[in-house]
Amino acid sequence: MKINLDAEVLSDNNAAAEFNRNLFKENKTLVINLMSSPGAGKTTLLEKTIAALGKDYTIGVIEGDLATEKDAERIRALGAKAVQINTHGGCHLDARMIAKVLPELDLGEIDILFIENVGNLVCPSGYDLGQNHKVAILSVPEGNDKIPKYPVMFRRTELVVLNKIDLLPYVEFDLEMAAEDLKGINPESRLIPLSARTGEGMDEWLKWVKDAYQNLQEQ
Amino acid sequence: MHEMALMGDILRLVEEDARSRNLRQIKQIELIVGDLSNAMPDALEMAFDVFKARGLGMLSENARLVIHREEARAKCVVCGCEYTPGHRLSICPDCSMPGGKIIAGETFKVQSYEGS
Repeated sequence: MKINLDAEVLSDNNAAAEFNRNLFKENKTLVINLMSSPGAGKTTLLEKTIAALGKDYTIGVIEGDLATEKDAERIRALGAKAVQINTHGGCHLDARMIAKVLPELDLGEIDILFIENVGNLVCPSGYDLGQNHKVAILSVPEGNDKIPKYPVMFRRTELVVLNKIDLLPYVEFDLEMAAEDLKGINPESRLIPLSARTGEGMDEWLKWVKDAYQNLQEQ
Repeated sequence: MHEMALMGDILRLVEEDARSRNLRQIKQIELIVGDLSNAMPDALEMAFDVFKARGLGMLSENARLVIHREEARAKCVVCGCEYTPGHRLSICPDCSMPGGKIIAGETFKVQSYEGS
């Protein structure tokens, strides 16, 4: 017999994301899902963000990687609470993995929770984790063609942090073209160029995070 | 390559429904896969074959996966024109304004299955 199921493939994930979202909301925790290719500088951006905001906000981090605790150790060294998820070959984090580690974090104590997704510009874009904001990080050495090449990622994120702008003089990266491509794919998305290493442009990113936190508290 | 994980989700959905109807075997699954869903039909077929070959779960030996592609379509909110989006997908080819909203191509669903 034929059964018309008409069911979203990701319905289980979406239910888990809803569960997470409710927990985040109850605790008024701002949750930011950071996605990028490997090596774009997610962990360095987080280190600098924690150093800048750590005295005014309690920050937690969920680190997603295929293997090792290396990133979580870097974050803990700064005094922030970090939980590592090893996906053992899995190319993305899903909402169930997040739900499973939430008991290890005291959400009531955490103002801002960053989720550092597995380095990959394809798969993580499909999974709602229950976050408030999805942010993509792109770095100058990757080239400006990544935006049109991975349209689904850039359509589903509301902010693109362009990292490593200190390398602009040394590599071919057309900043204007990147901004045009982004506007063509997602007119509502913002682009913040910065260098986590030198600190240039970091203020705009930090302001974006602080504003997002403030908006959430006023809701 | 998240198609193995996606196929796991698909089989879980189908098998849960089949068990609730006291069905024992799945003979066919039909999916709708949008061009903008970030799921690759070829990789889904491979994942389906891997699950079938493992012999776990309810897939019959000759079970088939049927994939219906859903083409990407966009509609410009400025001039109302409908178009197949290119790489700057929100730019309307008619009026050149960034007003295009995706109206098709993001679907990723199990449409139906056949069980016995």
